[in-house]
Amino acid sequence: MPPESSTTPAVDSTVRSFRIQKERTRILGLTWDECIQGFFGGNAFVAVIVLGLITFFLFREGSSFFTQNRDNLTIYRQAGLEYVDFGRQQEKDHAALSRYLSDLRLRTLRHYTDQEGLPAKEAQARLAEFDRFADRFSSASKPLRSLLSDLGDVAVDIKARHQNNLNFAEKRRQLLAAGKTAEAAEVELVPIDYAGEVAAITATLPDFAEASATFAKTLEDLIATPPALPAPELTERLTRFQALTRDYLAGFPATLEAMKAWDPARPVPLAQSFTAFVFGRQWLTASFWQDWYGVMPLIAGSLLVSLIALALAVPLGVGAAVYVNQLASPTEQRLIKPSIEFISAIPSVVLGFFGIAVLGEFLRVASGWSFLAWVPGFPFAERLNALTAGCLLGLIAVPTIFTLAEDAINNVPRAFKEASYALGASRLQTIIRIIVPASLSGIVSAILLGLGRVIGETMVVLLCAGNRIAIPDFTAGLGVVTQPVHTMTGIIAQEMGEVEPGAIHYRALFVVGLLLFFIALLLNFFAQKIVRKYKVSIG
Amino acid sequence: METSSPASAAPVTRSLATPSKASEGRDGAPEPTLIDIRALDFYYGAKQALFDINLAIPDRRVTAFIGPSGCGKSTLLRCLNRMNDLIDGTAVKRGEVKIRDVDIYGPSVDPIELRKRVGMVFQKSNPFPKSIYENIIYGLRIQGVKSKTKLDEVVERSLRGAALWDEVKDRLHESGLGLSGGQQQRLCIARTIAVEPEVILMDEPCSALDPIATAKVEELIHELKKQFTIIIVTHSMQQAARCSDRTAFFYMGKLIEFDETHNIFMNPKNPQTEAYVSGRFG
Ligand SMILES: Nc1ncnc2c1ncn2[C@@H]1O[C@H](COP(=O)(O)OP(=O)(O)OP(=O)(O)O)[C@@H](O)[C@H]1O
Ligand SMILES: [Mg+2]
Repeated sequence: MPPESSTTPAVDSTVRSFRIQKERTRILGLTWDECIQGFFGGNAFVAVIVLGLITFFLFREGSSFFTQNRDNLTIYRQAGLEYVDFGRQQEKDHAALSRYLSDLRLRTLRHYTDQEGLPAKEAQARLAEFDRFADRFSSASKPLRSLLSDLGDVAVDIKARHQNNLNFAEKRRQLLAAGKTAEAAEVELVPIDYAGEVAAITATLPDFAEASATFAKTLEDLIATPPALPAPELTERLTRFQALTRDYLAGFPATLEAMKAWDPARPVPLAQSFTAFVFGRQWLTASFWQDWYGVMPLIAGSLLVSLIALALAVPLGVGAAVYVNQLASPTEQRLIKPSIEFISAIPSVVLGFFGIAVLGEFLRVASGWSFLAWVPGFPFAERLNALTAGCLLGLIAVPTIFTLAEDAINNVPRAFKEASYALGASRLQTIIRIIVPASLSGIVSAILLGLGRVIGETMVVLLCAGNRIAIPDFTAGLGVVTQPVHTMTGIIAQEMGEVEPGAIHYRALFVVGLLLFFIALLLNFFAQKIVRKYKVSIG
Repeated sequence: METSSPASAAPVTRSLATPSKASEGRDGAPEPTLIDIRALDFYYGAKQALFDINLAIPDRRVTAFIGPSGCGKSTLLRCLNRMNDLIDGTAVKRGEVKIRDVDIYGPSVDPIELRKRVGMVFQKSNPFPKSIYENIIYGLRIQGVKSKTKLDEVVERSLRGAALWDEVKDRLHESGLGLSGGQQQRLCIARTIAVEPEVILMDEPCSALDPIATAKVEELIHELKKQFTIIIVTHSMQQAARCSDRTAFFYMGKLIEFDETHNIFMNPKNPQTEAYVSGRFG
């Protein structure tokens, strides 16, 4: 050991000294070591603090959404919009049935022209009977529709005045806060007699019941004498239409009951505001009628896109990891590893751009190729859809999954591999029966983290997913992947810039953000948990 | 993997059994040779690890490899089941290894088939992270054996063969990693004998075990040699003396002396051997 520099004068070298004390320089009362330790510790804790701040901020901004949404649902009820919606729903269902008829008309027309080879004019002429039927069917709801439209006007008017009052109240608050008492006193709220005004709406119930009964009678008579159609397949559809209409009519009494029982004064529980958000099937904003903040379509969109991405990225990422770690020659390793890792360096907006300009267009064109017609959902017309976005997201997830899975595989003790070979296993058998099972938890956590990466990705979905806010039609089977969707991340990026801070819409977006945050947190948590468990079991 | 000898094209099988050479056993009876190593030079890349090894290993006997650390015992052992193939850049540059007269580095030899006949037990016990049962039948599973009765039978026979049956028979479906170190090592031996090899290579099988577990494995080796040819690498002179019939002493990649174990320890011909076994170096 070299001699320590000391503050005391050197002792006579002939005397053997045992000096282990040392003077330490101190900065602000801390030794140099403690300073360094503090520096590193501070850096480490920044992460924890930031995480806490983000959570706090999201909660603070998002939490009042649920009370605001309750107000939103309350006025929906108080103004009678809810009541009118019973009738409007009936009307909507009727419109759907009319659409069924126009679809049937198209099929019949095609049958005439394609199968019977009739000229267009002749075919149209033969459809005359059907057209009369369809016309009468769709115009049957006219009286009902005009009644509902009148009622709707009244309800919307109540709501509009309510909104005005809210705005005035806010204005007055601001004026008062600025100390302008005189001006504040001038801002006048117009009191609304909700119960009285809504009573005017509910008073029309007998009218509605009557109109609805006539309407039902007309439809019943109509479907009793359906037009003749030229092919059994078409007649079958018409029979199906008759059944659907009968079901539809059978629902009328229930609607009437609901309208009778409806009470505008019934309070909206806070829980309903919550369920309306979580299970709501509509995300509808800036609507003249009623805004809905249902996150279901966004969750469904995010999920669909992520599943497509994983379906692509898991085989690619894990396969590549197995190959690179177990089978590739060193030259291949040197080529493949950096290439895959480079993908993660591509800015996602560039990928999105590529998705719009190249991939989306290519997929759309490819979906029209006749030899690909067997693929579910092909052909499709929308260039931007879940499939396009999912493919690109898959690409984004590949590096994450690859790198982590490769790590996991690399961590499988060499001894397992040797034991397997020593028992006469081939390379493939060793990989499938030993290496992959032993690294499975690592691979699963890699996939979870890849999923987290995908769910959180914004730019690509915003650019490529088609941004249609609707729950995709899962009855289409696998073909659902070709539908345009909107996602949780996409909606925030798209709408956050336009909303007024503090408004319900703004808060709703924060709650969506909060949801995303927790999904990511959960995925990471499970990924870590799985890895830890795996470490213990391998010992 | 380069192979040095173009000689034999026949697969490694027991049917080709014709002992090439016979040496005198301790009782004077001729002992048939199973593994015949001739003029073997082995390289790790550019580095030569084995120099001109000539060795005839007798059938159904225990042969011990001893020598100071780094002298090439493991390397030679791993040449016998071509485990070195798994390391990039290794090569047998000269010489040949014949098992029952078949050159195992011949062009048509499948190392996978070879390893089914020449099993290996490692220094550190390495059961798979699977159940005891699954560990034992792994070798058969990969050969496509499906019959449950056959598998059950093999599990019991192998575990009995490895003197482990009584200890684990009630927990066959628990993880093999839950066993003690000594039990794990015997599980690895059981796993190896389950595929019924002819040769079992053991690379310091007891170095991580306590004396009692070591004694059990040594006892086991004594039993196993009735059925299998065993080659054991060890750093313990006592172990070599206790359980081997013949001992080969290596030094710096060269075979210095190979003889009856008795002779190596009591009456070594080479002064280096004498120095090593008497503990004066190594
Ligand atoms: N994978 C390898 N690559 C390169 N050289 C190696 C490799 N394995 C072993 N060697 C070298 O080959 C020589 C023999 O090694 P080997 O492992 O056979 O020795 P050993 O006799 O088994 O030693 P020990 O008693 O310590 O296990 C050593 O010099 C070693 O450094
Ligand atoms: Mg060794």
